[in-house]
Amino acid sequence: MMDVILTYIVFVPMVFAVIMGVFQVRHTFLRMGAMLSALIVLLLTLTAAWYFDPGVDGMQFVRHLPWIEHYGVTYYLGVDALSLILLLVIALLMPILHLYMWHYETKGYWYNMLLLQTGVTGAVLALDMVLFYLFWETMLLPIFIMIGRYGHDMHRIHAMKILIFTILGSMAMLFAILYLGYAHYALHGVWSFAYRDLASLPLDPSITGWLAAGFLLAFAIKIPLLGFHTWMAPAYSSAPTPALVILSAIMAKLGIYGLWRFGYGIFGKVLHLYEPLLLTLALVGMLYYAIHAITQNDLRRMFAYSSGSHLSLIALGVVLANIYTWSGSLYLIATHALATAGIFLMIGLIHQRTGSVRIDQLGGIASVAPRFAFFFMFFALSITGVPGTGGFVAELLIIIGAFTYHPWIGMATATTMLAAMLFVFWMLQRTLFGTPRSSTASFGDLTATEMLMLTPLLILLLLTGIAPSLFTPLFEPQIQAELMRFIHTAGGAL
Amino acid sequence: MMAYLSPFAPTTLVIIGAFVLLIISTIKTIHLHSYLYITVAFLLLAFAVELPQFGHDTSVYVFPEIFGHAYLVDDFATLFDLMFLGGGALTLLINAIYLSKRDYYNGEFFALFLFAIFGMMTLAHANDLVAAFISLELTSLGIYALTGYHKNYRGSNEAMLKYLILGSFAGVFFILGTAIFYGIAGTTVISELAAFIHLHGQEHLLALSAAGMFIMITVLFKIGAVPFHSWLLDVYLGAPFPVTMFMASTLKVALFAIALRLYLILYVDTGLVGNQAITVIAILTLLGGSWLAISQTVLKRMLAGSSIVHGGYMLIALSSIGLGADTAAPAIMFYLLSYFISSVGAFGILSYIAAGATRPLTYDDFKGMAYRRPYLSAMMAISMLSLSGFPSTIGFLGKFYIFTSAIESGQFFLAGLGIFVAFVSVYYYFKLIAMMYFYPDEESEGERHPFEVHISTLLIGFMAAVTIWGGIGTSLIPWFPGADGMIEIARQAIGSLP
Repeated sequence: MMDVILTYIVFVPMVFAVIMGVFQVRHTFLRMGAMLSALIVLLLTLTAAWYFDPGVDGMQFVRHLPWIEHYGVTYYLGVDALSLILLLVIALLMPILHLYMWHYETKGYWYNMLLLQTGVTGAVLALDMVLFYLFWETMLLPIFIMIGRYGHDMHRIHAMKILIFTILGSMAMLFAILYLGYAHYALHGVWSFAYRDLASLPLDPSITGWLAAGFLLAFAIKIPLLGFHTWMAPAYSSAPTPALVILSAIMAKLGIYGLWRFGYGIFGKVLHLYEPLLLTLALVGMLYYAIHAITQNDLRRMFAYSSGSHLSLIALGVVLANIYTWSGSLYLIATHALATAGIFLMIGLIHQRTGSVRIDQLGGIASVAPRFAFFFMFFALSITGVPGTGGFVAELLIIIGAFTYHPWIGMATATTMLAAMLFVFWMLQRTLFGTPRSSTASFGDLTATEMLMLTPLLILLLLTGIAPSLFTPLFEPQIQAELMRFIHTAGGAL
Repeated sequence: MMAYLSPFAPTTLVIIGAFVLLIISTIKTIHLHSYLYITVAFLLLAFAVELPQFGHDTSVYVFPEIFGHAYLVDDFATLFDLMFLGGGALTLLINAIYLSKRDYYNGEFFALFLFAIFGMMTLAHANDLVAAFISLELTSLGIYALTGYHKNYRGSNEAMLKYLILGSFAGVFFILGTAIFYGIAGTTVISELAAFIHLHGQEHLLALSAAGMFIMITVLFKIGAVPFHSWLLDVYLGAPFPVTMFMASTLKVALFAIALRLYLILYVDTGLVGNQAITVIAILTLLGGSWLAISQTVLKRMLAGSSIVHGGYMLIALSSIGLGADTAAPAIMFYLLSYFISSVGAFGILSYIAAGATRPLTYDDFKGMAYRRPYLSAMMAISMLSLSGFPSTIGFLGKFYIFTSAIESGQFFLAGLGIFVAFVSVYYYFKLIAMMYFYPDEESEGERHPFEVHISTLLIGFMAAVTIWGGIGTSLIPWFPGADGMIEIARQAIGSLP
């Protein structure tokens, strides 16, 4: 059972989508089927997490089968602490998103969401580079269709934009992947694209530098780091809410995941060449995105930039590479995903109720819809990392790590965090408080379904904030081992 | 005598079929569908006879007392034959609806079609430059006539004239090259030429290389490589749909059959290297083709432009042959198969939709197609994904093999350029997907066209399924080639060459 559990986790949603698509089921059954598949996946993921042994280094529940034998391309899935966290986040968010979409009549939505889940889960679990590339690309397709078909505000152009940008990055990565496979062939006489095999290749740094650049381009666009971000705000503002949640809570994190797993796993030796660049982009990006967020009038765009700012912070944590920042980054991946999912879902609810997400048309929600205001404020604050929420623990760890790395960088990191506070408080003041406007005068409070949808996120954010010791044992030993391995390969270059 | 009959049977069946159709086309009472099914029956019969011949790893000269060493039967040619026969049958069946809605198609159309396929088969079997030239001209003449088949349509006439004049001119280079080879070596048999060049090649290297390149000019012209491409867009646009599809898929396969045989036997082993020339042409083809494809609004022209680009990908692998990668030639064969499958799907859907149209279809005509015809749109989307090389389709594996073989040969720039061009192609292929899925339906106000169960539509669906299976297919089903099995077949075919 345990060696096929990951396969089930990846493919259950797709199988459901295919079966329901072939039989052309009615909308009522479609959404029940989708929810059922999401719950099955959640159950399987929790089982996997239960049996996951954090003390054992390396991949677990590995499934390694031949696929294209001559080229050494394999079907290779496995999970370690890093991917387990992302896997849990995905599995947890999907039922919540399905709950949000429950009244969506359009069938295409549901099929795309099911396929999207298979795509992102596969990308998290794939350990063969070609398989990873396959999932990495295919997860883009449902997003492309959802933005272009069901989005708003110039959505067709924005869908094309995110597609072109992301594929530009993946093509650069593809070249690097093919070269690595060839390098393995040239050295050992057999082709292999398995991540561990490629990680152990003794490559010439002058070549590896270029290959690393290919990978980094793909991940920098996905995260997005400063300079590679021009697709972000348009895509976020056009995407329908479920797609938006996946984009910010999961797909952007996959960029970080890629940087971490493949950037550090394969290119540990040459990554120090890019360290100053990545560090600058992440630091400046944090501030730049935060300032951009302050100036936005559209809530989606505002939190798009806020998301960019926090992803830069996570990227910074990964680049600084010590035990505080790595733990903090991993922790922030999870808590930021929960918090952004909460905030974007609530922005979606605002859109449903008022037909607008422009801040200057909102105001006074707290006086008409107190429960809504409470949840909204909670998620907004947990994005900034208020003590008591998971974000605080994570950001604290990263800031401590930044200070250990270098005091100036620690200072810079800590100050830029303040900018995030600024826009959130100002936004809260303008949307929730004051006197209700015409658009918000009859603002409906949260219904029972919506409470059911948001409460798990709230509980988890509190739990991660108050009792981090519940979660850290899950990933700490492996992160430590991974870090030792990285420092070992980098050969003291840091 | 009898020993030669069975390897010769498929070719014979096709030519007999052509004459049968020519004779019965004089009977005016026969319905078009009867012609169609007779043609397909001959093609499938030949396919069935030929299929068991693959995989014996033997090279036989057929009727050597008559043909000398001109007609060779080996796995290489057999595999190509199977592709021509299958491709021809598919082209006709998928276009059945298109053909039946036009009243100017009759028996001669199918006779010409079979003559062209006969020419392709002999081209794949040709072990002699003169035989190859005759086969090539036979194919070309058939296709010239087919291109101009719509007599009362000016575009069709223009296309035929352009193709005929330029094609004949380009064909002359083949003869010129052959003549130089004969003048130096005293033979036109490819394997004997190879042996001669092996021994005395260094003395005449310049002349021999020039002769080899002259022959390649003809092949490159017919493939539509830049700078020999100027005819291609107009001809593809003007030709009737079945013929365009035939030219884009099956004819291209035939041309690479002779190109591969020449390259692998004559050019590479003997040091007659024109790789730099091919490399330059590959670069021009990739960039020029992309430019042409991007700038089109008519879909048929876009597919024509993109077929130039796909030729360019194969030229990458062709120029990699002999540079250290033994995977380049199988990669071309696999790519031909993958391009064939995906382009037949795309052209098939286009011709099915264009069956009732009076003007060339543009991107805008596909707006909201997903609401009107959800199944066809999904199949079209799959074809587009495959053509753009999106993973999980057969098109991705095709590109994967091409680029790895280029990297393996040290052609990093070409591989990088190919990947960049594949990135560019995402734009013009996904534009169609965007048109189909992103725009509301304005024409029929939400009314759906029912999925018409017909041999054409079923085959299009089958091609879509093959596209996906070829991209992710596993070896779980033992006797059925998955993604892995097809490249093995290609390797076996290449391995049968001396």
